[in-house]
Amino acid sequence: MSVFTRRVRGFRLLDLVGVGLLVAVILGVYLAKTMAGRERAEIATIERQIKAEKARIRLLQAEVAHLEQPGRLERLSVTYLKMEPVTAHREATPDQIIDLARAGPPKKAKAVSAVAAMVDGANVIPGVPPPPPPEANPVRVAQAPRPPEVPR
Amino acid sequence: MSFSQQAFGRTGLPRWLIERVWGLEHAFERARASGKAEDDTRLRIFFVLALFTLGFITLAIGATRAALFSDVRSGGSLAALGASRADLVDRNGMLLAADLLHYGLYIDPREIWETEETRRSLLRTLPNLEPERLERALRGNRRIFVLGALTPQERNRVHELGLPGVSFEPEQRRVYPLGTSAAHIVGFSDAGGEGISGAEAAFNDDIRAAARNGAPVPLSIDLRVQGALEDELYKAVAEFTPKGAVGLVTDVHTGEILGMASWPAFDPNKPGKAGVYAQTNRAAATVYEMGSTFKAFTVAIGLDSGVATPESTFDARNPYKLGYRTIHDYHAARKVLTLVEVFQHSSNIGTAKLAESVGPQQMGRYFAGLGLTTPAKVELVESARPLTPKVWNDDAVASTSFGHGINVTPLALARAYGTILNGGKLIPLTIRKLEPGAKVDGPRVMSERTSLQMLSIMRANVSGESGSGRSANMPGLSVGGKTGTGEKYDPAIRGYSRSRQVSSFAAVFPTTGPVDAKRYFVLILLDEPHGTARSAGYSTGGWVAAPAAGRVIERIAPFLGVTRRADVGQAIPVEPPSVEQMGEGQ
Repeated sequence: MSVFTRRVRGFRLLDLVGVGLLVAVILGVYLAKTMAGRERAEIATIERQIKAEKARIRLLQAEVAHLEQPGRLERLSVTYLKMEPVTAHREATPDQIIDLARAGPPKKAKAVSAVAAMVDGANVIPGVPPPPPPEANPVRVAQAPRPPEVPR
Repeated sequence: MSFSQQAFGRTGLPRWLIERVWGLEHAFERARASGKAEDDTRLRIFFVLALFTLGFITLAIGATRAALFSDVRSGGSLAALGASRADLVDRNGMLLAADLLHYGLYIDPREIWETEETRRSLLRTLPNLEPERLERALRGNRRIFVLGALTPQERNRVHELGLPGVSFEPEQRRVYPLGTSAAHIVGFSDAGGEGISGAEAAFNDDIRAAARNGAPVPLSIDLRVQGALEDELYKAVAEFTPKGAVGLVTDVHTGEILGMASWPAFDPNKPGKAGVYAQTNRAAATVYEMGSTFKAFTVAIGLDSGVATPESTFDARNPYKLGYRTIHDYHAARKVLTLVEVFQHSSNIGTAKLAESVGPQQMGRYFAGLGLTTPAKVELVESARPLTPKVWNDDAVASTSFGHGINVTPLALARAYGTILNGGKLIPLTIRKLEPGAKVDGPRVMSERTSLQMLSIMRANVSGESGSGRSANMPGLSVGGKTGTGEKYDPAIRGYSRSRQVSSFAAVFPTTGPVDAKRYFVLILLDEPHGTARSAGYSTGGWVAAPAAGRVIERIAPFLGVTRRADVGQAIPVEPPSVEQMGEGQ
């Protein structure tokens, strides 16, 4: 008996197999869609959270950049910590630290470091402004009308 | 005509397809003709079933593929929110400009229940909201945009009000977190995402392209250098109250601009609130008669052309009459000066005599070679064209030798100084970060020997007892420089004003080491400063700009890796002069 003509309870076996396959395919697609849909929704939620977090991170980065403005840090460090730019008189190389330690704490308010002693400005007294420079030499043209050939 | 042709007519279907369909139909006819009618039905059912199965399998594959492999990221409200412009960062990666997520506020009056409550709540929560605009939206009959650029916090505050008919749409907005700091070099862009000024305009296309890759665009500036430069410049501004000021720091070997400050500054987050005066980048877009800082060029030209040596002497005992004008020294030395002394005393007479010896044609060629007759080569679109003499004659040469009769931008000055300090090559300035160790080449304008001589002469002007720039001297940093005080032309008196000046100091550090040693140029310029009691009433470059330049150098040296070294006597390299040279420039 051919497989095409064999019958089970009056129904052709071939038809039953076909219907069974069809139901299996429909069920498979339904289950795949349902399960994948759930996963998909979860992935989308996480993706949205990641995006929101990234946006938040960028906001925080911008806020950090705003708070770390050089001018702002300068104002805060001067106002609250009484800090100021390091001068040559307060610089020392690691090799010179031992010599400084042997010399003991400075008696004056301002320490004079080994670097300061090394450089040419060591004889400058801290706190005393340097002698005023000679004024520069601006051009003075006696009785000079504006040169007509010079565009301005 | 066959039956198939009659049935399908001239349909244009492929011949093979028509034959296949008719072949199948004939198979049914043949089965019926052979007396096996059940075969005919079975075949038809099998055929239809096969078609359905094929259809289902196709659908199943498509559905599975769509379910498992579709791009879930294409959905969701945040998907289309890619930044249109990339971040701008400094050379160390510090954020200068960024596109940040903001929200636009929309109102649909058809969904509003309590108009008065909505009006009152929104105006209380959003102080920036214009009442007229809100009123128009509330009285309309469709959904309308009311206010943009809401921060997430502002959006949340409105959202928590729970007002029906009020909704938001995400939008990207350019933000400059540093505010006024580095505002002119960073620039700003418009609401449509197009760069208007500064790096935003200069690199507009690159910034937009980089946004697609999510990569930042690094600029050449160092925010630490920029901060120190701005701080010292603003202190000088507070003390001497000029109408404008410029600060510049460049690497003379690469042309990178490490710091650029222009005062008055503006906030690029609100460019409309600042006038054009504040928005103008004075370093790039304003030309000045620089005054004595130009003497460095004249001396360098004199040395490089062989017209003079550092020992050449110039008689500055009496005012020098050239054509219809008489040139004086501001504080006349009234003696014969060597070339180095001419530079240190900033002698107009000595410089004019040197320039006259060089000659108009040669001076013109050198000035062009130094890039002083063309806009400074830099990416900034603001780079302004200089005002130069139309004819290079004796009069023009005498004027330009000490920085009059020629107006250039501070950037052009920095580029020309870079040329005489980097070994003699004219290289472009750049606001884009170059790779570490990058070598930038350019046409040679001067010899390396001239460059070394100029470094020593500029150092002597700061370290020497009689140097005009000695208030810029910083221990161990081997600072060199030249003061400049250019009196401004006053149309009212048809002459140069003695009270209105452009005072500047052009500095270089360190001046020691071989010609290719690490070296930086610093410019401080104040436009119409006012003398104070501390400056004994003077407002010249040596009093108002040189101290600020020295303080800038002292502060930025550690950031640039310049360590203090014991200063040693720096001999000025001298080339044995020829007999002809001995006769010239005296």
